[in-house]
Amino acid sequence: MDTPNAVGEHGSLTTPHHESLEAAVKHAAHCLPEQGPIGVFIHHNTLHAFQHLPFEEAVQAAALSYGTEPFLLEETYRADFERGRILGEDLDAVLAAEPDAPLWPGGPARRRLRRLMLVPGPALVRAENLDWLLAEGGLLRGPRDGALLAACLRRTLARAGSEPAVPARPRDALLAVAGVDSDEAVNPHLIRDCSAFLDQGVAAWPMPGREKGFYAAVAALADRPLALEPAPLSGLGRAFRRQAESGLSPTAVVLECLNDFRVPRSDWERLLTAELRALPGWAGLIYKLEREPGLAPHLPLPCSLMDFLAVRLTLTRVAIENAWAGRGETRPFWPHWREAAAASVPAEAERRASAARLFDAARMLGLSTEKVSLLTDAEFAGFQAEVESFGDWERRRLWHLAYERRHEQDILKLLAGHRSVIDPRRPAERPFAQVVTCLDEREESFRRALEELEPSVETVGAAGFFNVAVQYQGLDDPHGVALCPVVVTPRHSVTERAREHARPLAELRRAMRRRWASAAHAFETGSRSLFAGWALSLLSLLFLLPLAGRTVAPRLAARARVWLGRGVPRPNTELALHRPDEGAASAEGGFLPGFTVAEQAERIAALLRAAGLSGALSRLVLLLGHGSTSLNNPHESAHDCGACGGRRGAPNARIAAAMANDPRVRARMAELGVSVPEDSWFVGGYHDTCSDEVTLFDLDAVPAGHEAELEIVTRARHAARAANAHERARRFEAADDDDSVASALEHVEDRADRLSEPRPEYGHATNAVCIVGRRSLTRGLFLDRRAFLVSYDPDRDPSLDSLAALLGAGGPVCAGINLEYYFSVVDNERYGCGTKLPHNLTGLVGVMNGPSSDLRTGLPWQMVEVHEPVRLLLIVENTPERVLEAARRSPAVVELVTNRWIRVAAMDPADGTIRVLRGDAFVPLQGAVEPPIALSSVDWYRNRLEHLPIARIVSTEPHPSARGSKA
Amino acid sequence: MNDGLLLALPVVLPALLFAALGLAWLLDLRPSEAAVGRATSTCWALAVLAVAALVLGSLGGLPPPSVEFGRWFFGGGRHVTLALRADALSLVMLSLSASLVGIVAVFSRRYMHRDPGFHRFFILLNMFGAGVMLLFAAEPFELLAVGWELVGAASVLLVAFYQQREAPARGALRVLAAYRCADIGLLAGIALLHHAHGAPSGATAAAVAFCFLFAAMGKSAQVPFSGWLPRAMEGPTPSSAIFYGALSVHAGAYLLLRARPFLDASAWAAGAVVAVGALTALQGALVGRTCPDAKTSLAHATATQLGLIFVEIGLGWDVLALWHIAGHAVLRTAQFLRAPSLLHDHHRLHSGAGGHLTSAGAPFGALLPRPFQDWLYGFALDLRGRGLS
Repeated sequence: MDTPNAVGEHGSLTTPHHESLEAAVKHAAHCLPEQGPIGVFIHHNTLHAFQHLPFEEAVQAAALSYGTEPFLLEETYRADFERGRILGEDLDAVLAAEPDAPLWPGGPARRRLRRLMLVPGPALVRAENLDWLLAEGGLLRGPRDGALLAACLRRTLARAGSEPAVPARPRDALLAVAGVDSDEAVNPHLIRDCSAFLDQGVAAWPMPGREKGFYAAVAALADRPLALEPAPLSGLGRAFRRQAESGLSPTAVVLECLNDFRVPRSDWERLLTAELRALPGWAGLIYKLEREPGLAPHLPLPCSLMDFLAVRLTLTRVAIENAWAGRGETRPFWPHWREAAAASVPAEAERRASAARLFDAARMLGLSTEKVSLLTDAEFAGFQAEVESFGDWERRRLWHLAYERRHEQDILKLLAGHRSVIDPRRPAERPFAQVVTCLDEREESFRRALEELEPSVETVGAAGFFNVAVQYQGLDDPHGVALCPVVVTPRHSVTERAREHARPLAELRRAMRRRWASAAHAFETGSRSLFAGWALSLLSLLFLLPLAGRTVAPRLAARARVWLGRGVPRPNTELALHRPDEGAASAEGGFLPGFTVAEQAERIAALLRAAGLSGALSRLVLLLGHGSTSLNNPHESAHDCGACGGRRGAPNARIAAAMANDPRVRARMAELGVSVPEDSWFVGGYHDTCSDEVTLFDLDAVPAGHEAELEIVTRARHAARAANAHERARRFEAADDDDSVASALEHVEDRADRLSEPRPEYGHATNAVCIVGRRSLTRGLFLDRRAFLVSYDPDRDPSLDSLAALLGAGGPVCAGINLEYYFSVVDNERYGCGTKLPHNLTGLVGVMNGPSSDLRTGLPWQMVEVHEPVRLLLIVENTPERVLEAARRSPAVVELVTNRWIRVAAMDPADGTIRVLRGDAFVPLQGAVEPPIALSSVDWYRNRLEHLPIARIVSTEPHPSARGSKA
Repeated sequence: MNDGLLLALPVVLPALLFAALGLAWLLDLRPSEAAVGRATSTCWALAVLAVAALVLGSLGGLPPPSVEFGRWFFGGGRHVTLALRADALSLVMLSLSASLVGIVAVFSRRYMHRDPGFHRFFILLNMFGAGVMLLFAAEPFELLAVGWELVGAASVLLVAFYQQREAPARGALRVLAAYRCADIGLLAGIALLHHAHGAPSGATAAAVAFCFLFAAMGKSAQVPFSGWLPRAMEGPTPSSAIFYGALSVHAGAYLLLRARPFLDASAWAAGAVVAVGALTALQGALVGRTCPDAKTSLAHATATQLGLIFVEIGLGWDVLALWHIAGHAVLRTAQFLRAPSLLHDHHRLHSGAGGHLTSAGAPFGALLPRPFQDWLYGFALDLRGRGLS
């Protein structure tokens, strides 16, 4: 079965071949998911590789090549229609935007046919179910139906049969011809090798030789004396040895396989794509780590997709040759496999099904048998083409557009209505305090709660890294990590260190943590080994009590743990933040240590200017970063701050506050035209979106005179986090029926700490809108935690620099989150990673289903189950021309907008008119509706699980005068 | 209360709950998640209390409680007394089972929340619970076999819990094949006992011991059956914990402890138990070190300790073996239930250690020459592959 190292008729193995192979691999790799190791989860558009196409086209192209779903299922949309989530007017509006024509001269309109095929909808006839539908399925209902069907049957033409497709890869041919699936032998072997190779420290015994690359390591293991080769892969070691003896590089191995498989060069990409798609998760991770080795959480490895392909093709070849030989075939497999064709449905069955679909359409249109018989051949063929072109995906496309339209109308009309009754200008009074949170849609309810509880507080939304891109190493971190959007590479580093007086405590703590960690690690590894495991098992009856405590009484157990762990508190720390202006540009490990005054001033000035806060600052300004902590959740990092690169944003808030408080920085900012009042003080803080814990940093540094503000803000923050927890709890069926705020807070705290909780929080689920504009547009509106809120003042942005920066940084992040959710919902099993309950964390890099499967990418069902898959509706407060002008400054945003991966609307800052981007033009929104009024958020959402429309919460209306007297 | 009744309660109650939930399922009645969860928790809380009372009684010097369900299978002047009897061995296993099933039931109420198979899971969990309580409380082997089969059936059905996917169905088939093959040993042993009128001697006793060993090897994933254990990790995490970390896999060891008189009668059989156990332990320790994922790593660790338990039983150290079973079951339940949090835990550990977590390397790594270490790694990987392909 060894093939001589021949080069065949396709030429010699020379450089041009290598180059075109590398190009083919690069193209094929576009089909791979972009997800990196799961410990730092970055949301991104699942179909990033298709972003150059318009959305509606892209999802169908991807669905075709990946075998996925482009939209929700038709029955889901239909159910939404029945419960009023989609209205008839939406269908009409969507159809009106599609080209129309009569089905034949003088015949009914295409639009009418399509409307009928949406509601009541067609009989779902396929070749396979036609006989059943006729016999028992009730396809024929009236007495005249038989004749009409017969007429259609008589006239329907068989569609031109398509050429039987060439099988994409040898495995498909073998399966079609011999009924043997070579993947059953190849995939488990490859999964085993990939997981061993990529392991970041779970296995006690790392794969030998992996520093030499995947191909070399796998080949060395396979080609060893007395290897136990499973029968379908027998001879694998020999195959690898022969390659080694011929001195083939992995690239040459791939070339040789393609050559011996007799694949013409024009089909290389197709075969390679199909081979990669057989295990896209593992191949994708290897490719990701090849391009960005630094993403490996602990051990950078020499990853190469070519290595992967060399191994995969070698395995495939051995498995197929064994299977072929095992069948006793005398004819060789390779020269002929591309001629094998999969069984297809006979043309006549297809023709009959097509006739039945035509019959169904004719009946819905009310056409008589005579009318059908009288159509000319051309007219009938046109009718047939019309009906057949409005198939499942096309109907679902229109359903989806209608689904999105209803969402758009509900949001925009109420926003416009609200805008018409408010004064969007900033009140003349200085707000009592300001709280700047991340623009994250999960902070919407927290901000609303703060303003509801303390109407004199103003909240502001900004990207959660607060314009501080930094390589940060905290007191407990073993090394620094980048805290900034993934598209940015930080140039500065900041470390946290214990303050002078706390150094001894810090040392003691570090030593104790080391001891604890090495003991815990020894326990983990020991419990799995032979002798230590024996000793530990004998002692382990002691764990029954904590185990029972954790599961049966988790809160009690948590309190006990806190009590036990109170011994060594975290020492007081400070930030090594400043870098003297002159000299000191020596980079440590590629990073500049700290920021100069000028660098700090630039960052804070840009932050304040973009948020419209220049010259409008209160006496106390809270900057709240966010993140999320949970157990039982390999996707924990997906709930962290996207603007901090999938990490927790507490340090950014603390650093930004420290910068903004520095008088030297303020002086420099004044030169840049951003004034900070002398009596303003910034406090950094952190909001855990899972437990709703809010912590503030460096409170001891707050100067005298701010006590009143601090006390009131502290009180408001406590109340707001409880209120926020209460609002979140409405979505959790498991929350107590007891409706009190206190029990809701306990409930969310419990979720964060519960070993058995598969939904610690719902994360970004339900996100749908992004509003870039003044807070006054949305203040007091119940947006149901579904809107990213970016503070932006169009009146203070004549150059459009701020808007361009906000859109350029925030647009792709929000769209990435939104689209990842979209795809994980519409096809949770293939774009998402399915239910997380059988997930098995592997190598600290990803999850498999059970013991051996492809690496599952995307989001699990438990994260997305409440999500409504609609494209992000971006509403910018500025004129349409200026919105487009700002968008044009970022190529990424241009692509998202022109290809309709996001929906765009502009709200005129002067009069509040909303114009919606449809096609190439902005169209004024018809009709505005004032939002319904609720006394408080709780009144609006109490006892309701579903998505809620916008409402105006009257208790949020600001009363600056009330507080002004106190302040 | 009558202690016979106290003994019947933790066996019969889960069985009744299983029957009730199963019947409701068949009749297409769907009680709410909360109702199913509450009923199951209550059932197992009562079971724990009943077993605790029995243990207290036993510590207080009462004779082992027993309860009889009548005499069946009359023939040739002989019959089988279908009875439960809880000696010290049974009491340890019963208290362990009641508490661990209870813990896993409470855990699963939240873990399985909103899963479309929530009801099915709890039906199967209670079926397993009833089976395992019967297995550990049964006096005659005939009754033990009933519990044994219930445990096996529940195990197979839970491996195939995600039945719409291919891999779980294949895994379940693999488990089923291993179980059915090994169950021949249990049935053959019981048949031999019948022929020997319940009191075998000499060669028959040895044959019974070998038969039971065969059965135990299958249930406890000993070499050469051990390949099914990693494949069984297809089910939801709590079922992996209770079956393959805690109770089901220890049933084989329990059977051997029950078969003590026959093992004592044959040094060969006892030796075979030691040999099988030692091989399994070595294989588990070797293969487990190469596992890069949370669940199969635990599966091999479990097989390792099961092997050692077999060694202890073969050597006649029953008390040690029992202690080992109990501790090991608790340890693995805790570890399996924590497996989805591995990344979180590793992150904490890594930062606590200041970035220095070292891998242990090959077992006895320092003693072996490097090429042999690499060979051994490949050998371990191939053994692991056998379990997974």
